[in-house]
Amino acid sequence: MRALPLTRAGVTASARSSFAVSASAYFAHPLLQRDNDAGIKDRLTIYVLRLNIIATFELVIARWKNSGSIKMTGAPLSRWTMAFFAFSLMCLIGAQMLLAAGYGFPVDDIAAPETLVVVHLTSIGWLSVLMCGALFQFMPVLVDRPLSRPALVLPALFLLASGLAFLVSGFIQLSGAIESDWPLLAIGGCFLILGFALAVWVLVETLWSARPLPLPARFVAVGLTCLLLLGVLGSVFAHLLSGLIESDQIAENLNQYVALHAALGIGGWLSFCAIGVSYRLLPMFMLAPDSDGVTSSYVWLTGTSALVVSSVGVPLEILLVGSATVSAIIAACFLYIMLALYAVDLLSIYRNRRRREVELNIKAAGGAFAALYLSAILGAVLAATGQLQAELGALVYLVAFGWLGGLGLSQLYKIVPFITWMECYGPLMGRKPTPRVQDLVCERRDGPWFVLYFLGVGSGAISLLFHRPDLFRLCALATLLATVAIVVELVLARRLSNVSAARRLPEGAHLPRLFVVAGKK
Amino acid sequence: MSHPPLDLDVRPILRAGGEPFSAIMEAVDSLAPGQGLRLLASFKPVPLFQVLGSRGFEPSAREIGNGDWEVLFCPTNAGAEIPSKTDQPNITDEWPLPSVEIDCRDLFPPEPMVKVLEATEALATGETVAALLPREPRLLFPELQNRGHMWKGEQQKDGSYRIIVRVGAK
Repeated sequence: MRALPLTRAGVTASARSSFAVSASAYFAHPLLQRDNDAGIKDRLTIYVLRLNIIATFELVIARWKNSGSIKMTGAPLSRWTMAFFAFSLMCLIGAQMLLAAGYGFPVDDIAAPETLVVVHLTSIGWLSVLMCGALFQFMPVLVDRPLSRPALVLPALFLLASGLAFLVSGFIQLSGAIESDWPLLAIGGCFLILGFALAVWVLVETLWSARPLPLPARFVAVGLTCLLLLGVLGSVFAHLLSGLIESDQIAENLNQYVALHAALGIGGWLSFCAIGVSYRLLPMFMLAPDSDGVTSSYVWLTGTSALVVSSVGVPLEILLVGSATVSAIIAACFLYIMLALYAVDLLSIYRNRRRREVELNIKAAGGAFAALYLSAILGAVLAATGQLQAELGALVYLVAFGWLGGLGLSQLYKIVPFITWMECYGPLMGRKPTPRVQDLVCERRDGPWFVLYFLGVGSGAISLLFHRPDLFRLCALATLLATVAIVVELVLARRLSNVSAARRLPEGAHLPRLFVVAGKK
Repeated sequence: MSHPPLDLDVRPILRAGGEPFSAIMEAVDSLAPGQGLRLLASFKPVPLFQVLGSRGFEPSAREIGNGDWEVLFCPTNAGAEIPSKTDQPNITDEWPLPSVEIDCRDLFPPEPMVKVLEATEALATGETVAALLPREPRLLFPELQNRGHMWKGEQQKDGSYRIIVRVGAK
């Protein structure tokens, strides 16, 4: 039992395992066959200078405006979280449109530049930007400290967005659709590294101020470490593909390094942070007591072990014996133990909930957890039958769109109305009658869209397993439709459109802006 | 000659979901001069330490198994006041019995926060409201601070959180 002392100011406001089956072929791309002459060095110097000028400019502007988190109510709201969410949802819709249009896998090869456009639009644009936005909002709740250096949040978004634009252009350049002498991939890699570095700086400094860390925050700390490793590795790939650096060691073992890159991204950065945040958000939204902390600390331990074995064991084993089979098997064992323990915790939270009925975000999160465990079973079956390499696309699709994407969309359905409510009605709490958070959305209307989303993702993965690109595109179209409908609902929630006009804006409340959480300071 | 301490077991009241505060205060009022109170509770009643401390009782608590606590409140010689920890010198350190008791354990966030703040708006300066919340209300603390209220709270065994808020100057 923990007691708060009598106080008034006591609490502060506070791999795709080698989807690059033939990626090494890109090193033979005409773009990369240039002599490493002085021209490249000149271009390198110019873009590094440009990069520095832009980043500095953004930093100065943001600091000058001193924008970041606001304290309109007592509760800290991150000013730019909605902008992060909006950008990430646009990337999700973009990626789904490309999939439905037959751009990239499975119509193109799994390692084709077109596929890499979709992969990075999804993994960086949708999932990573979403995770950054969510962490900027929830880190203060996780560690009970205000966010450090909130002025760096907006520059991080600019750098991530421009970095992604360059990276995607670089892959399009690699596909031959556009011609340019610019080392676009490398430029994108640098912007992304800078953007993620700013995000990690803000989040790590916040974590550092809150030591010793509560368990959910320890998951995020490991996730952020993976993000840094992932970013460095990704940037090395980008420079290699742009012909700016050479490394025979990496080029020869590209498949395994790409597998590590994906494992760190999907497993370490995205999934581990999602699991950590879920330990706080699920009990909060289900009115359940926090888990006992014993099982969850073993989830952290086994998951961290899997990631350490992957990030240290894989490169070491490649250097020593030329392949990373043993490390991969040990990491997979840790991963499966972690998943089993996490399932125990999820069931315990669900069973111990104080209120029987659950809201739509929790029901929809059920679809995401189902996708997580179906992926785990599918992965084991594919590995046992020797089909893992051949059917990797289906597995990665289910993990990215079912587990991570599904969890993201379902929680946005709660987080966006919640933040909007706090922003709009927080100052009036208790003083004037206000609508409830649930009144900002219409669950009965939105439930079917989540059903369509998960059915679309599930049947999409099955179509990939049965090598039916035509059916896959149809399923992708269904998920696109569901996503657009959910995004429209989020916009309606943000604009308070579901609240009757008479109750919408009591005296003293202001209609929130779509992308910026704002208010009186 | 001093009296033996008066025994009071509030565990049945707590188990029944009741509020033992008034029973405790009645018992305290019935104490003879110099007599202590031996309290048995199913959690460590930290908020009481402050309340009875201001009445001149020194608590000594020990866990007696199964999560239960025995607290012996012994009268201090001078009945000295516990030094005020408040940063509002114009408000005394007295915490009157809660005027309102609310149970918000079954409400989805942010409804518990709304209920507590509604209750504080209805009370006069210095009055208190006690609330049972689903969990530690981290978003509520800064809002209470903003509005000039004081609070003390304690995590309960079932994971819920009991908070007592004293309304600040309006």
